[in-house]
Amino acid sequence: MHVEETQQKVNKAKKADKKQRRCLAIIKSDCEVSPSAEPTPYLAVLNVGLSNGLTEECLLTEAAATGGKVIQVVMLPGKSYCFFICASLEDSQLIYEGMHNISTIGQQGAVAYLSYIRQLPALAGKSEWNKPLPRGLHIIADFVTEEEESTLLRAIGEDGRTSEGTGSLKHRNVKHFGFEFLYGTNNVDPSKPLEQSIPSACDILWPRLNSFASTWDWSSPDQLTVNEYEPGHGIPPHVDTHSAFLDPILSLSLQSDVVMDFRRGDDQVQVRLPRRSLLIMSGEARYDWTHGIRPKHIDVVPSASGGLTTQARGKRTSLTFRRLRKGPCDCSYPALCDTQQTKVPQELHASLAAQAITLEQQNVHEVYDKIADHFSETRHTPWPQVSEFLDSFEPQSVVLDIGCGNGKYLSCNPLLLSVGCDRAQGLLAVGRRKGQNVFRCDCLVVPVRSSSIDGCISIAVIHHLATKERRLAALQEMARVLRPGGRALVYVWAKDQRKNDKKSTYLRQNKAVNKERTTEQQQRQKQHQELEQQLSNNNPLPVHTNRTEFQQQDVLVPWKTKDEQKTTYLRYYHVFEEQELENLVSQVHEVQLIKSYYDQGNHCAIFEKISKNSL
Amino acid sequence: MKLSTYNFLTSVAIKGVKVGFPLKLTINKKEVVESEFNPTFVERILPKLDWSAVYGAAQVAELTEDIPAVQPENIVENELLLQKLHHLLFEIDVLEGQLECPETGRVFPISDGIPNMLLNEDEV
Repeated sequence: MHVEETQQKVNKAKKADKKQRRCLAIIKSDCEVSPSAEPTPYLAVLNVGLSNGLTEECLLTEAAATGGKVIQVVMLPGKSYCFFICASLEDSQLIYEGMHNISTIGQQGAVAYLSYIRQLPALAGKSEWNKPLPRGLHIIADFVTEEEESTLLRAIGEDGRTSEGTGSLKHRNVKHFGFEFLYGTNNVDPSKPLEQSIPSACDILWPRLNSFASTWDWSSPDQLTVNEYEPGHGIPPHVDTHSAFLDPILSLSLQSDVVMDFRRGDDQVQVRLPRRSLLIMSGEARYDWTHGIRPKHIDVVPSASGGLTTQARGKRTSLTFRRLRKGPCDCSYPALCDTQQTKVPQELHASLAAQAITLEQQNVHEVYDKIADHFSETRHTPWPQVSEFLDSFEPQSVVLDIGCGNGKYLSCNPLLLSVGCDRAQGLLAVGRRKGQNVFRCDCLVVPVRSSSIDGCISIAVIHHLATKERRLAALQEMARVLRPGGRALVYVWAKDQRKNDKKSTYLRQNKAVNKERTTEQQQRQKQHQELEQQLSNNNPLPVHTNRTEFQQQDVLVPWKTKDEQKTTYLRYYHVFEEQELENLVSQVHEVQLIKSYYDQGNHCAIFEKISKNSL
Repeated sequence: MKLSTYNFLTSVAIKGVKVGFPLKLTINKKEVVESEFNPTFVERILPKLDWSAVYGAAQVAELTEDIPAVQPENIVENELLLQKLHHLLFEIDVLEGQLECPETGRVFPISDGIPNMLLNEDEV
């Protein structure tokens, strides 16, 4: 019995050695890490990391149980390993002895393997705790006393509970005073003040801000939002709508500490908001950084001794005080400014008309030629309602696909004589290789006999034309080639990517936003920064952020290549408002609208060429 | 380019051109891609085609012995002719060659089987 036990122990240790070596080899192929047989202050956890669900809190709790002290944890996104910096060699040894081949923090209770390493990999980066605060961000500790805290909680509890602004969001309870914050539009309606204004108990706060308030837009607020966060609740990263509120925004934390994340593009700063402190977000911090709270039960915070430790959250109530702007925002931070992002420059329409041909040449034709193969790979499945339209024709009908791209619709219905045309040689070549009938032309000048075609489709084409006149001319050209009684189907991209509050496929594929790991605002800001680096930034039009809602009708949509260069090309689009396509069809001679509908983020119209007899 | 596609192409968009059809076809390189013969398909496509361009294509493809200059009336019963039309319209594939506007002489090249019908802005 005794011998068997010893043998088992030996086997277990052997297995651990083997595992250790194998994991180290994997990490080495990823980044420069050299293991050390002697203890060092640096430890690698070899087989558990963010990619298999480990949290910083769990790791720290486990390390703390060994008695060893940790200064910094380095967890890399998407990696199945992570690192510690320990306070001393002694601490490092305690943690190694206490966790290696013992700690069951892996998936489904798998045991962790650790190793001493000579130093941290270069890509580990700096701790998010040692960074300077965003400019304009201030935290005033002990802004209210414990008695004042109770008074304030009572005041908002008593006054607010019956108010109309009471409501519960997915992750937290909210109450409003003064004006209701409408989560649908992320704005307030200044014409509809609430019966309950901000409770007078809050008046004690404003005189305490005199030293700051000289540079602010306001000296007392007129809107208060109360959020109640239970442990585990959070709020996705966001910027308070610029046009809704003035500068600054104040937030008083009551009942519990919490950690708030501030982000601007790739910059991220974690800020601890102690209980009874006041957070002031002004200037850059108010306008150009997003803020949010991760939905967690435990926060990782700096410890008094300079290391890291964990802190359980309690129920926290935050009082956010703001003042309505009642007009457009004129800040100097355009990236997240709703006023500046949605404003259509007055000179735009004139400049589009003057530059339509150049714009389409540079930002449509040249781009499609460059991205043809990659683009074609992403366009293989026919949209069901387009296939349905093609199936509605008698066998042996002649159908022309104007803007056929890689020709995916030309083989949908083999009973038809299908011919396709496009501007982009690269895409035509793809269709041609599949044996399809294609020729090259512009959709404004289709080299096909008049009244010779039974059916016509033009899917996602005329939204690349830069003026209304040109879009109309493209439809007129379709009408010309149709025989009387012939029918055409047109698809264009819709500005509105939601129907009945349902997101289109285009938006649904934004997984990071849908899982609330980030927000559209944050993605816009990140892209804004990336493009500033990549492009000359004298684009005549606003650049759209992929898989987010459109902010304007005339936009440049980025296409990132798959190769190592990750070149970004910008395609011009005019996204259609509701009824815009129908209106355009009504101006085409000799046709009548049969049907129009919305299909997955597109406006669609079917029209028929009127027979001469019925004219 | 199949000769059925050829039957629909025109240069009428060029400034000053009245008809622009049929285009003058030159074949420098072609191949024959065999496909299944379906008499009904050929028969029902014919009314949508222009016979003068069908015959014109036959002349260039050196198949005039098979295709009459004038469309015969009882074509439904003439399966042999339908088969020859099938070959002409759906099996001959022009890889290299050109199309020429009958009125202005503007040439549209065909390369790798794709006719380039793109016009410059000042031609329209």
